[in-house]
Amino acid sequence: MNTQLLPALPAGSRDRKGPGSFRARHRRRLFRTDLLTTTAWASIAAAVALWLADGGTSEFSTLAGAVTALGIVTGLAGMDLVLLMLLLAARIPLIDQTVGHDRALEFHRKLGKPSLYLLLAHGLLIAIGYGMAEGLDPVSEAVSLWVLVPDMWLAFISMALFIAVVVTSLVAVRRRFPYEFWYAVHLLTYAAVATSLPHQFSVGGLFAEGTWQRWYWLAVCIATGAALLHYRVLEPVIATFRHQLTVSRVVQVAPGVVSIEMHGLRLNELAGAGGRFFIWRFLAPGLWWHPHPFSLSAEPLQFDASGRGLLRITIRNLGRGSAQLAGVKPGTKVAVEGPYGIFSTAARSRDRVVMIGAGIGITPLRALLESTPFAPGQATVILRGRSEQELYLGDEILELARNRGATVFHLTGPRSARHTGSWLPDSATDAGHRLADYAPGIADADVYVCGPGAWARNVLEDARAAGVREDQLHYERFDW
Amino acid sequence: MRIRAAVSAALASAGILLAGWQSGIHVEDTRSAAASTSAGTNGATGTTGATGTNGATGSSSSGSGSTDTGASDTGSSGAAGTDSGAAAEPTTGAAAKAGGTYAGSVVQTRFGAVQVQITVKAGAITDVEALQLTDDDRKSIQISNRAAPLLRSEVLAAQSADVQTIGGATVTSVAYLNSLQAALDAANL
Repeated sequence: MNTQLLPALPAGSRDRKGPGSFRARHRRRLFRTDLLTTTAWASIAAAVALWLADGGTSEFSTLAGAVTALGIVTGLAGMDLVLLMLLLAARIPLIDQTVGHDRALEFHRKLGKPSLYLLLAHGLLIAIGYGMAEGLDPVSEAVSLWVLVPDMWLAFISMALFIAVVVTSLVAVRRRFPYEFWYAVHLLTYAAVATSLPHQFSVGGLFAEGTWQRWYWLAVCIATGAALLHYRVLEPVIATFRHQLTVSRVVQVAPGVVSIEMHGLRLNELAGAGGRFFIWRFLAPGLWWHPHPFSLSAEPLQFDASGRGLLRITIRNLGRGSAQLAGVKPGTKVAVEGPYGIFSTAARSRDRVVMIGAGIGITPLRALLESTPFAPGQATVILRGRSEQELYLGDEILELARNRGATVFHLTGPRSARHTGSWLPDSATDAGHRLADYAPGIADADVYVCGPGAWARNVLEDARAAGVREDQLHYERFDW
Repeated sequence: MRIRAAVSAALASAGILLAGWQSGIHVEDTRSAAASTSAGTNGATGTTGATGTNGATGSSSSGSGSTDTGASDTGSSGAAGTDSGAAAEPTTGAAAKAGGTYAGSVVQTRFGAVQVQITVKAGAITDVEALQLTDDDRKSIQISNRAAPLLRSEVLAAQSADVQTIGGATVTSVAYLNSLQAALDAANL
């Protein structure tokens, strides 16, 4: 049944370079990472430097002026961080292909609190500084700013929105609110940024005519807005119309696990995306507004040269939304965006590769195994499940491995009760086996891990113990 | 590799900040230089027209009218020069609603200090001159330059400080009118 999805051509052939090319590619990717990091820090420095260049130092002559100046600097840095956060969440291919979607969002999360603190400090210091200049206490100064200075009431609303967004995001992450709630809260960010802009034009000197800052902030704001519009709105719409995906059938793979097959156009453009994820929206009543992040579980199968063909995802009803998907009707139109992430060939740094998956986390490895380049004997696949039945697509992987010369291990059995730090079945744990016993060359291999969070952490720990360096570890999270 | 990122980020940021700071100092120099040259040119126009203006104000204090209207025209450009000499004289004779120039109080705002000076003749305000305007940053200067002429014409039309504030320049307007009121009080108007 599933074997028909094996492509006739070895897909991902455009990625197939000679051995050794991964190291060069990896160096380039690390270089890009460092370049992006440097750019991010430099942008904060530039925000402050341009203010200095426009005569900011003169403000430090009095105490009130110094407090106001600090308030301005914190505001500038805060604004810069907010724009960086937006860029990190904009799914820009350069960022996505360099650090990956999940790490970009991790940085995004990390910047949340600092930017809020900077903006709060900005408001407080300005109120104190202005108040000192006028002989008012900060509270009455804030009131007079609200009443007297144009656009300041909008800035107060913006501040309230920023507080609301960051606080609810932190609470939502901790309490595990539904995705939709978190999403709706994040839409408020746009309102927060939009309401903060007027006072930057009319009161702040950011866009004052004849300053360097004007050009910098105009460029940064327009670029951020354009990136968001293009990559988060236009690209998904274009991709949806380009590929015109329609559900052709839903196949039960195991209890609670289904494969959804979709046919569409120009699927050749999606070749080599094995392991990367797409965001799917099934355009059916009650389903269309729910975005689902899933990886392909097979390379696109092409019928002809124009790219007409089949896509397949394999999912388990983990969440409320996933459970509904099992009942999706053939003929349902599908909106798609992606592919995102670097749980793919793009992350490779070595010639050897080790893939370790558990449960439904096996399915992205199935597509990765199909497309990522390796010489026979240089790949090891380790599948983990409580029973043979839980090794979803295990038979397909076995066949692929046979064709391509990869070693496959099926590790089944219950978790070890005594060793909570073990990712192996209890029998293997008791026998004292470690990751390096299954994959002897692992210290010089790329290690792809996909599975539940706690299990994956144990695998990563075992890999590090076997001498695998941090940049060789590639880990796909399901719980972001 | 993370070390490389940290080092290059630190170096780049430090370099950018240093460059900004240096050019900021440069801006300070040119700005103060511009201020001194503008003061110089003011002074220069003052001194070039000094004989005429001084003569005119001198004749105004003695009490002639027709020469003075000519003087107030030139005075609008080089008022800074005239007030120092003229302001001292009318304050002595201020009680009699005599003509002259009266400086208002200095009003501090969050965007800088504001002070205006009025020229009074026969109990009427003939000119309003801003001695200081909100000028903390370029945006403030921009706002001030827009608001001051509007406020001046409103005040001249209303002959009092009871005029509308300028939209988008509320802080400057309020300070301007407060200083103006002080000047009007000084002139017993």
